[in-house]
Amino acid sequence: MTQPASPAGAADAPVPGGPPPPAPAGRKEAPATTRRPLGLRADVRNLSLLAVLAVLVAVGGFTRPEQFLDTANLQLVLTQASVIGVVTVGMTFVITSGGIDLSVGAIVALASVWATTLATQEYGFAGILFTAVVVGLGCGLVNGLLIAYGGMVPFIATLAMLASARGLALQITEGRTQIVTVDAVLDLGVPDAYVLGIPPLVLVFAAVTAVGWLLLNRTVFGRRTVAVGGNPEAARLAGIDVRRQRLYLYLLSGLCCGIAAFLLIVLAGSGQNTNGNLYELDAIAAAIIGGTLLSGGRGTITGSVLGVLVFTTITNIFALNNLQSDVQQIAKGAIIVAAVLVQHRTARGATEH
Amino acid sequence: MSDVTPEAGGRTSRRGMLFGAAAVSAGALLTACTSNEPKNSAGSAPAASGAQAADDKPGTPVTIGFAGPQADHGWLNAINENAKERASRYSEVTLEITEGSNDTAAQIGQIQTLINKKVDVLVVLPADGKALTQVGLQAMKAGIPVVNLDRVFASPQAYRCWIGGDNYGMGLNAGRYIGEQLKDKPDAKVVELAGLDNLELTKQRSQGFDDALKNYPNITKVARQAAEFTVESGQAKMAQLLQAQKQFDALWNHDDDQGVGALRAIEQAGRDDFLMVGGAGARSAMDAIKSGRGVLKATVLYPPTMAASAIDLARALGQKKGVGGLAEMEIPSSITLYSAVVTKDNVDDYLPTGFN
Amino acid sequence: MSGITKSFPGVRALDGVDLDVLAGEVHCLLGQNGAGKSTLIKVLAGAHQPDGGAITWRGDQVRLKSPMAAMRLGIATIYQELDLVRGLSVAENVFLGHEPTAAGFVVRGRTARTATAALLRRLGHPEIDPGRPVGELSAAQAQIVSMARALSHDVRLIVMDEPSAALDPDETDNLFRIVADLTADGVAVVYISHRLEEIRRIGDRVTVLKDGRAVAGGLPAKSTPTRDVVALMTGRDVAYVFPPRPPLPPRGQPALTVQGLTRRGEFEPLDLEVRAGEIVGLAGLVGSGRSEILETVYGARKADAGTVRVAGRALRPGSVRAAVRAGLGLAPEERKAQGLLMLESVTSNVSVSALSRYARAGWIDRSAERAAARAATRELSLRPDNPDARIRTLSGGNQQKAVLARWLLRGCRVLLLDEPTRGVDVGARAELYAVIRRLADDGLAVLLVSSEVPEVLGLADRVLVLREGRVVHTAPARELDEHRVLDLVMEGSPATKGSPVWEGSPTP
Repeated sequence: MTQPASPAGAADAPVPGGPPPPAPAGRKEAPATTRRPLGLRADVRNLSLLAVLAVLVAVGGFTRPEQFLDTANLQLVLTQASVIGVVTVGMTFVITSGGIDLSVGAIVALASVWATTLATQEYGFAGILFTAVVVGLGCGLVNGLLIAYGGMVPFIATLAMLASARGLALQITEGRTQIVTVDAVLDLGVPDAYVLGIPPLVLVFAAVTAVGWLLLNRTVFGRRTVAVGGNPEAARLAGIDVRRQRLYLYLLSGLCCGIAAFLLIVLAGSGQNTNGNLYELDAIAAAIIGGTLLSGGRGTITGSVLGVLVFTTITNIFALNNLQSDVQQIAKGAIIVAAVLVQHRTARGATEH
Repeated sequence: MSDVTPEAGGRTSRRGMLFGAAAVSAGALLTACTSNEPKNSAGSAPAASGAQAADDKPGTPVTIGFAGPQADHGWLNAINENAKERASRYSEVTLEITEGSNDTAAQIGQIQTLINKKVDVLVVLPADGKALTQVGLQAMKAGIPVVNLDRVFASPQAYRCWIGGDNYGMGLNAGRYIGEQLKDKPDAKVVELAGLDNLELTKQRSQGFDDALKNYPNITKVARQAAEFTVESGQAKMAQLLQAQKQFDALWNHDDDQGVGALRAIEQAGRDDFLMVGGAGARSAMDAIKSGRGVLKATVLYPPTMAASAIDLARALGQKKGVGGLAEMEIPSSITLYSAVVTKDNVDDYLPTGFN
Repeated sequence: MSGITKSFPGVRALDGVDLDVLAGEVHCLLGQNGAGKSTLIKVLAGAHQPDGGAITWRGDQVRLKSPMAAMRLGIATIYQELDLVRGLSVAENVFLGHEPTAAGFVVRGRTARTATAALLRRLGHPEIDPGRPVGELSAAQAQIVSMARALSHDVRLIVMDEPSAALDPDETDNLFRIVADLTADGVAVVYISHRLEEIRRIGDRVTVLKDGRAVAGGLPAKSTPTRDVVALMTGRDVAYVFPPRPPLPPRGQPALTVQGLTRRGEFEPLDLEVRAGEIVGLAGLVGSGRSEILETVYGARKADAGTVRVAGRALRPGSVRAAVRAGLGLAPEERKAQGLLMLESVTSNVSVSALSRYARAGWIDRSAERAAARAATRELSLRPDNPDARIRTLSGGNQQKAVLARWLLRGCRVLLLDEPTRGVDVGARAELYAVIRRLADDGLAVLLVSSEVPEVLGLADRVLVLREGRVVHTAPARELDEHRVLDLVMEGSPATKGSPVWEGSPTP
């Protein structure tokens, strides 16, 4: 066979008409090319969601100027977005990793009733907060172990958790509404507790969002989440412990559910086994219209939060205009379709290759 | 949880152990927290006192089969409690009670089991009245009289006696009460917080409410939103209503359970410029009415004591007796309960029937 | 086709390309990755709409608005990534989209199966059962099914995108026979391949694409010197260049020691040793256990017996993390499916195995990460020199360099390379070879697997020849030639028809 005959440097030797030789390593950095395709795409999606939100604000302001455009309404919309918003942040991580968590609503229900039993209320504020968070983490741990180490499909494992957590919540309450009598908890939900006009619930939501954003975009944990979702086999072969990462992700989702359950207790002043009804669908919908890929590998906290705000604003505008729930549901479905269509169009225009 | 593979345990064992220890201690603490028994259990004594049953003396033994839906709501839970408590009063009555279920197929199965066991009388609160008609017919054909509780079967042949609440009357009485309170106020505004919109009973309640308000030309209903019989939805919808209507005079809320959330929203909005009327008759609502503070001034009953009455009717049917206080030889085929308005004046009479 | 232009944002993929294909000819399309071949055939298949230019089909100007429109005209395309539905049967796949129906909607399964069986006979593969799910077939069989699907239409032009990439020599021969049958019937074939010798064997004319332009059209396939073709493709004068080996085999410490490694049904107890600075090649046919050995050494498959030691320390079996921690790195065979995060940037792909080094308490220092990734990719001359470029916009060769840069950044001692030049065009291969040799010279131990015998012989210091999971011969590469290796790997199997698997490139 032919043996190497030309010098090793052949590849680098400049050839007339050939590509320019690469810059030698160690030379001063060329002016940074600041094209960031991924960021660009996320921006486009967020921009289109912002546009949707702007249209909604215009509609709200036009139809009900006095009620829609005031501080109290802004506080209201953000407060109503807080509980589902926190759940959606956790869900965004799970979906980004290629998973799904159908049990979020049920975990919120279980955590909120467990944290509001008479026995728990004996321990006051700390007892309620602790119980809500630990129950959320516990459910997330079970989900994570079943999926990461038990080899169960996320859809099935979390569906099972949905059923059993709802069942346990019902067993604890026996269908009763558990009214909270701990003043320290109740006081968090009234205007006296607002910090510079911002409800504490909204502050928690903002904090969870900020931490979530940093975690996803600036940490090893976030990078691994994206890697596991984008290509689990490549992540495994690159030396990432994919199973442990999955366990942590469901724990994170459970933690978010626990926090959300506490917020819901503050908001509603009670715990009930019907809490968190269909949160799983709302959270998934918000994450998807926000631009997180259902198949995993790409996630955006900003988009998810915008998605939640779009939904909450729609509900608000409809309620202010006294439209009934049938119309609300139809419109919500239509807006999901429209938002996703608009995004597809703009995203395709910007990134088609 | 126990099938942690070696890989999970291996290198991270120390962290794992720490976490495990935390989890166990948290678990221990938490288990203690599932208890819902009040510290000094006053007990929630349901059922009215001194009902005029045929007679209270023991008669021939009767076995009553009872099938209801899953008690995922305070009112339904109270139904079960009332039935059990009532049955326990009669030494000759045996109550065969099934696991509550919202699944039509499951409930049919449970009722068929009761038929096969040859209970003397059946009391059925169907999860879905229309869907369970056939099994009602089956029981009647097998010679077992059926007392149909609240949600009515599609055919009168499927039951011997129906007893239930009056949804239309509930709305009517709520409307009348509000109308009387506001009749001298010009241009009065009223807001309605309805229950689940896809239920027939919600439409009936709203219809009754609207019909009653027609008698008061000075009153307009300015807004209506539907919640979902849950605290969470009650809070959310009420918060929106309060933002939409900066001023109104009265609010009718269909359901005291969602009313807990509605009251929370009212507290959060700092509003007290209107009167509120509830629905169903929860204990918490009655306590609030009794205290006289706050906006809740009345609630219209949808009494869960109907389950206790249904047991009385079943017992009488089993012993082939009529009911006292009427000239009739036979038990009526249909009994519609009255939705009384509970206010501060009469709340003490009704307090024992309030459910949690 | 004349003057076809197609632009994507930021890229002019096709810049006035002319292509004319005659009935009954095999027209070969050559070009490096990124030259525009894929875009051109997608335009031809109706999957992309051209921005300019015209397509003339049998004298009439046509617009191919959709793949369906192209198919109706008789243009069928067999893509490189097989587009078959794994869960459906062979017959269902063949007639997907144009199922024979009764009353307009009831699928007539038997008709489809009979017709499929006839097509498969025509393609020389009567052994494929039309009722079997495609997921159970081998890659070569799936290729045949794709072809049957194309033929199920009344086809006048077939476009084949690297049809031989997944095939063994025997199967490739069969493919060529089918192509000859088709052209004898007057069907035109557009054939894309990286393998010049294939083009020589079956091609009639060649069009060479470079940077979205046709730099030569209608060259005679048989008589144009290889050298000219390569020069046209690369703009360079050299074809297939292996870097020189060090004069003496490296005498460093054994970096990787494998003893008695076994996986039942895949390969028999294996002993091998790779020293620092040495490249060891595993040669063998598809199915000889090459890739399985690499993945077992790496811990991605759990060994039934045996040990793997890195610098003398035994690894926990079946643990990729243990292997990575000990200093092993793998460039897997299926680069896209197993190696890369296709949605991510070059930086993310390079830093993924060494992230914690650029993080403090979990926080990534992004500028340090980016700088390190850039340094590693520059060392390998990865292009474009932009750490933020998305990995899927890179050519195959540069994607492979990103995988190598990952392990360079991680600082590994032993590099396992599985088919490092698959899907990499001729020009870029020489560069990759040079990079691999340079890494070895810097002290890495390299274990190389390739189905292309000349590649193993040209690059490795020492070669292990595998047959059916067993090492049948070990020798320094310079003592072997291709015929000897082929004899070894084929021994006992039906004699080959003497067709060379690779045509040697001329000595410059």
